[in-house]
Amino acid sequence: MSRPGFVLEVDDRTPPLLVHNGEGFLLERFPQGTRVVYPPEALPPVRDVDEAIQNALLNPIDSEPLPELLRAGMRLTIAFDDISLPLPPMKKPDIRQRVIEAVLELAAQAGVDDVELISANALHRRLTPNELREIVGERVFRSFFPDGKLYNFDAEDRDNLTHLGQTRHGEDVEISKRAAESDLLVYVNVNLVAMDGGHKSTSIGLASYKSLKHHHNSHTMIHSRSFMDHKASKMHHSAWRMGEVLTSHVKVFQIETTLNNDIFGGPLEFLQKREWEWSIKDQASFLATKRGLDVAPAKLRHKIFTDTRSNYGLTGINAGAIEPVHEKTIEAVHRQHLVEVQGQSDVAIMGVPFVGPYNVNSVMNPILAACMGLGYYFNSYRGNPVVRKDGAVILYHPVDYEFSQLHHPSYVDFFEEVLSESTDPATIEAKFEKQYAEDPWYIHLYRTSYAYHGVHPFYMWYWISHALDHCGDIVWVGANRKTVERMGFRSASTLSDALEMVSHSVGRSPSITYLHNPPHLLADVR
Amino acid sequence: MGTSLVKFGKDTARDVKQVARGWRWGRRPQVPRSAEPYVIPKETTVFPTKWARTPAAIAVRDLIQKGPLNAVLNFEVSPQVSGLDSLLKLDGPAIIVANHSSHLDTPLLLLSLPDAMRRRTAFAAAADYFFDTWWRAAGSAIVFNTFPIERRGGKMSATPGDLLADGWNVVVFPEGTRSPDGWVQRFRMGAAYLAVEHDVPIIPVGIKGSFAAMPRGRGWPIPGRPAVHVRYGDPLRPAAGESARDFAPRIAAAVSALLDEESTTWYESRRRAAIGASPSQTGPEAARWRRVWESTRPMRSTDNRRRAWK
Amino acid sequence: MMLALEMYRSPAKYLAAKAVGGRIPGILTGPAAPLRLVTINEPKAERDGWARIRPILSGICGSDLGMVTGATKLYFSAVVSMPFVPGHEIVGELLDDCEDLPKGTRVVMDSVLTCAARGVEPCEGCVTGNTNRCDRITVGHVAPGLQTGFCRDTGGGWGNLMVAHRSQLYAVPDGMSDERAVLVEPLAGAVHAALRAKVEPGQSVLVSGAGAVGLFATLALRELTQAGRITVVAKHAKQRELARAFGASDVVAPDEVFRGVRRATGAFRLKQDFSGGEFLLGGVDVAVDAVGSKDSIDTVLRVTKAGGRVVLSGMPASGADLSPVWFRELEVTGTYASAREEPNGRPAFETALELAGRAPLDGIVGARYPLYRWREALDHAHSAGRLGTVKVAFDVRAS
Repeated sequence: MSRPGFVLEVDDRTPPLLVHNGEGFLLERFPQGTRVVYPPEALPPVRDVDEAIQNALLNPIDSEPLPELLRAGMRLTIAFDDISLPLPPMKKPDIRQRVIEAVLELAAQAGVDDVELISANALHRRLTPNELREIVGERVFRSFFPDGKLYNFDAEDRDNLTHLGQTRHGEDVEISKRAAESDLLVYVNVNLVAMDGGHKSTSIGLASYKSLKHHHNSHTMIHSRSFMDHKASKMHHSAWRMGEVLTSHVKVFQIETTLNNDIFGGPLEFLQKREWEWSIKDQASFLATKRGLDVAPAKLRHKIFTDTRSNYGLTGINAGAIEPVHEKTIEAVHRQHLVEVQGQSDVAIMGVPFVGPYNVNSVMNPILAACMGLGYYFNSYRGNPVVRKDGAVILYHPVDYEFSQLHHPSYVDFFEEVLSESTDPATIEAKFEKQYAEDPWYIHLYRTSYAYHGVHPFYMWYWISHALDHCGDIVWVGANRKTVERMGFRSASTLSDALEMVSHSVGRSPSITYLHNPPHLLADVR
Repeated sequence: MGTSLVKFGKDTARDVKQVARGWRWGRRPQVPRSAEPYVIPKETTVFPTKWARTPAAIAVRDLIQKGPLNAVLNFEVSPQVSGLDSLLKLDGPAIIVANHSSHLDTPLLLLSLPDAMRRRTAFAAAADYFFDTWWRAAGSAIVFNTFPIERRGGKMSATPGDLLADGWNVVVFPEGTRSPDGWVQRFRMGAAYLAVEHDVPIIPVGIKGSFAAMPRGRGWPIPGRPAVHVRYGDPLRPAAGESARDFAPRIAAAVSALLDEESTTWYESRRRAAIGASPSQTGPEAARWRRVWESTRPMRSTDNRRRAWK
Repeated sequence: MMLALEMYRSPAKYLAAKAVGGRIPGILTGPAAPLRLVTINEPKAERDGWARIRPILSGICGSDLGMVTGATKLYFSAVVSMPFVPGHEIVGELLDDCEDLPKGTRVVMDSVLTCAARGVEPCEGCVTGNTNRCDRITVGHVAPGLQTGFCRDTGGGWGNLMVAHRSQLYAVPDGMSDERAVLVEPLAGAVHAALRAKVEPGQSVLVSGAGAVGLFATLALRELTQAGRITVVAKHAKQRELARAFGASDVVAPDEVFRGVRRATGAFRLKQDFSGGEFLLGGVDVAVDAVGSKDSIDTVLRVTKAGGRVVLSGMPASGADLSPVWFRELEVTGTYASAREEPNGRPAFETALELAGRAPLDGIVGARYPLYRWREALDHAHSAGRLGTVKVAFDVRAS
């Protein structure tokens, strides 16, 4: 039995509430009257996953059953979501593994020889062989990886990109050549949040920089309100237009899966329980974990968090034509994430957790922390933002000056060079984006090492442009003052200081909403 | 190192304090008002008491009961026990049924039982009172060997049957709660049901004077070492084919007869019982004060031993 | 008789400074300093062209500190004459008429003791105007000493009186403050370095170090060349600020050099095995080392593009890895002091005087000490960067 999400109003009976704070968490007493948005509890998972997969493949929506699409001598390409989903990563076996195995089983029966598997990482970093194995599973890995038939998509490999044409808005559609020339492209998706999936899977996941820049730019992204609502997101509109072009060239069989909110298990279960229902055991776990993390050396702490794997139950799987499948997917995602919130408030508070889409097995650098808070969480709404126009956002994260040279080489430069010059997305875009996108070193690292593309930090910054535009004040609690100031924000040592700092714009007794995630939620602000 | 240890200590104290205050350690947890509609009604979590019947716990209990508990009880009240020979007629576990008007009843019953039987006796205790916090549950389980039952009727937890099957005697107060005025209240069906179900005899027990010694609302017996009488009756067995519904009144009558016997004599009470004229032990239909007045009428003390200093 | 700080030969102190100076910096300017405040005979200006000068301000240079702290290599022991009064960055007042310069003129001094000052036939260097390359610095009628301030006979800026030859002197324009004038000597060195760096228009330059040498080099490069992007490596906040004011395009922290240069030049960055050392393929066209430490030299050698030029402007330490010089065919250029005839056809000091007149140099002399507080002064100079000071000077007249 899972309870729906709801909005708590902090009163004198409310215990202090848990706030995620990077690689750690804390308890915060919010002012009385603060609204706290709790996500729905984990939905009951599908009991027999394999049966559900079979059912989806054999009874697809608006498409022939998969076995009918498979024949000997065809070119079959299976693309799948990369390591940025789900967050935190899933306990083995990954749902993608189970789906891909089912698809390959059918392909083997049909006698398909020419099969390639592509991680649809667009401009994300390449996955290491181990990471690929974690996603597709040992069997698939062993069958395809040694022959180079299981690989990361390379958006800079000019020889292996195909320009499929332009949309009616003149946007270039350029995707993986292999995918474009396949007789059937099967896409295996994990739809963790409402932003994922649909045409975004193929038209963005397998696209080149040339194609991506049509929607990954400050103008489009500032008008994507929000990313979590593809019908109100300019970025998604563009991806949908590209999808039309793409699907007119390639037959796509989309498989979308949705997961429930069962993220924290074992001793960390208290992280997804409502605080007033914490048992003695939960309280003890909290204390033990918090004290342990406080004394743990940074490396160990990082390892503990990086090694977190989540249970996740499958809540649904749909296959067939992209758009109707995605409708169903979004329904399931909404069932798990949507919480109705009445009206906007003056101040929104969010705790930025340890992991975001772009720092799996890596460190969350200041730009990613900003993106997680002001990109992901701020955009976790449908209708209106949780905070009113010119209201204030208060975030929790240490925002340490910490970058991974391996994964985020261009981020350091972006932080040091670009942000010290300007924090305005449009200015940054005009002056620096091209330089970074074309820097041969970044391209080299992206293609051969495990680095995000040089232009990726710009996308992070565009992603927060909506929040920058919408909010009057952005204050981080407990953050490194220097790094936060470089990004154009302010830092406060406590929540009350932060509220004091924003009081000139929102008054002494502002209405406050705290978004209690993760687990993920989507605020349906009326 | 030293300073970091001190800091760790301080931070730990700070965190523990925050949790202790936030979750009201030692008091009732509370639910924010706006969250009340979403609270799942609490599953009655039955406090596990199996550990209280392990040899180690039995040994500890024996020490507590024979030591401090016995001493305190005998110091504060003067128990008069009769009818113990009825227990000799048992050849297995039994359900001990008594009227209930005071917290004294439990230790009285326990300490009046022969040692061998006492060690093998468990008490049915109201889950909502004795088992609502872990410390009260653990305390009563170790001292009195209690196990939780649901007194609001309906589903009886499975344990009493299991205990009987394991050879434990089970004490049940079928009134469900302590009498508010000292008079016997309506007996519930639980004990009868158990007896029929598991085919075990019932030992009726009448306890008189405990209300006067320590009524509801008192935390300690009244001064003056009041006399309290515990009278055991002969085992009752459900007749073949007798239902719990039919058996229950017999149990109630047996307890009433024992109480009658306590205030008169055995033979008189037997006579009255035979013609069905045992005086009602439910007290007169009158104002509360009169009922209390009547039930606390001082008994003639059978304790004729002179105190040393008199 | 006059009051002066005198450097004397003391092997024991030298060894002590070498042994523990790295761990206990205080000892370098304290008990282990081979320096004493003494009253000694005034130097004499008896020959033609020589005149007495009363120093007004006298800067503390990195090479002075090197001498005091024992960092200077024994290589230089042959070109100094002990005991001597240090101090070669001076602005002073002439006490005698000196050829065309009347008594009372404020002067600055090119400290190199060349053939002209020594009264010998000009050597090859002096003939061509490269006076800093003079080969006769140990002969003639002046005791050996590469510069005033390292020579027994001339006295130095850290004393109440010194002598100098007309060939060394440049008159300070009226209206230029003493604080600016005392910077002319290091500025001249920077002018020399900037011109030696032969930066072509638009070339990228890295200046490693943002002490006086680095900052002035940055200034000179910006003023005298058409360098494109100038990246300065600066450790401390005040240095960063000044580097920008002096014309740096961007400023990076010492541990950020590889990242910053890579980004600025679009180079490729490689990591070597085991040691974790890095280097760039590609990089800046010209790198100027203005520190002299092993780390700094290693860094500039590794971030300069193949065929590029590395200018050593600080007194170099030993132990740098020269592999990049060979593999990347680097041109390594030394720059020492300044010349009478620079590539731009003028004495470096004239250019430096102009620069001193117009550059944003207020507050560069961040601390002035009388001679008797020399330990404090040296200690301050030793950690000037951290204390936000560029130049520490002795206020000789206050002594």
